[in-house]
Amino acid sequence: MKLTIFNGSPRGVNSNTKILLEHFINGFTETEGNSYELSYLVRIKEGEQFVTLFQEAEHILVATPLYVDAMPGIVKAFIESLEPLCGQKGNADIGFIVQSGFPEPNHSRYLERYLAKLSARLGCRYNGTVIRGGVEGIQALPGFMSKKLLKTFYELGRIYGKTGKFDEQLVRKLAGPERWSRFKFGIMRIMINATYWNHMLKKNNALGKRFDRPYGVESGSTESV
Amino acid sequence: MTNVKLYFRVTSVLNTALLERQMKVTILNGNPDTSNHTFDDYLKNLSDTLTASEHNVTTLVLRDMDIRYCVGCWGCWVKTPGHCAARDDLGDVCRVYINSDFVLFASPVIMGFPSALLKKVQEKAALSVLLPYFEQVNNEVRHVGRYPRYPRIGLLLERSETCDDEDIQIINDIYARFALNVKTTYGFTRLTSDPVKEVADEINHL
Repeated sequence: MKLTIFNGSPRGVNSNTKILLEHFINGFTETEGNSYELSYLVRIKEGEQFVTLFQEAEHILVATPLYVDAMPGIVKAFIESLEPLCGQKGNADIGFIVQSGFPEPNHSRYLERYLAKLSARLGCRYNGTVIRGGVEGIQALPGFMSKKLLKTFYELGRIYGKTGKFDEQLVRKLAGPERWSRFKFGIMRIMINATYWNHMLKKNNALGKRFDRPYGVESGSTESV
Repeated sequence: MTNVKLYFRVTSVLNTALLERQMKVTILNGNPDTSNHTFDDYLKNLSDTLTASEHNVTTLVLRDMDIRYCVGCWGCWVKTPGHCAARDDLGDVCRVYINSDFVLFASPVIMGFPSALLKKVQEKAALSVLLPYFEQVNNEVRHVGRYPRYPRIGLLLERSETCDDEDIQIINDIYARFALNVKTTYGFTRLTSDPVKEVADEINHL
């Protein structure tokens, strides 16, 4: 099976999406004869080539981060470039991976509905959407903490490579509970707010400016400084 | 004492009733297609109607602004808090946005969703007006607000030939989520097939 993959992250090769895909691909290529072609949608100049690749593909995987409740702008631009293909495709199947910084899968469920509809619009068979929250931290966390997650993506890719389908049980496992308990959130908040964000702010010498309101009339404006 | 309280209550209600007629309204025109005059004309008409009802209306034509795609650098949170590190025209959008009472996101529907042009601006502006920190609101994780108040928002769409009611419903639901994300309540989703006066009335009654 040949899989045509589009990485929709605006961070391109430095993205968390890339890390998840790497493990998926490692699993996918376990099956002999499987191959893939991977494109980064952030390379906007290659846009025409993306359309050709999409048009000629038999199996498609689009992986994207959730940006403010939907697909990032660059992914929407890619989707718009596919408009001439609407109703033309009969054979390709398409699946999606949506990863978010917010921990709960619920944030991505609305984009999931859009992606299912998009597949129909493009005349593609919809393979489903894999949703995973809380991914922003994976590059900052110690390796052993992200190891389990990456292993699951490997397994997802391995089964997909054999069957052409996302394994339902793994999809449920990756999504996790739709809502987080207050307790679990309380612990996460300390890790994310105090550790992760303040660490980044300090690193950039910006901790003192973290609450700035450069565009507010009522507030102390720093824009004019 | 009770009378004094009542007096203040009544005057504050009256004040609100009188003041709410005047709003700062911003229209974000996300039409990428210069040849689509119908859409721009509709917005012009809407802007004139709102101005006639004493509102202060600003329209930003996003396609004429230099705004780059978000690259996910978190500059607006951890390097130059509150504004985009790219230093493009996004600052103009943020300034107008945060000082508005109501912001209308407007776009033709392309492939079942508002334009990439509108989405690009929407996601960058949203991050700039929020803090990176997490809080839990209604049992969901959200970002903490950066500003003390946020404009209400609404959406105006132009249907394409292939756009059905399900598409409109999906977009509506995503924008209602977006409203929660940017610390406000969702006004409405309207179509350019609705009379301008109806949309203006809806904004008037928010």
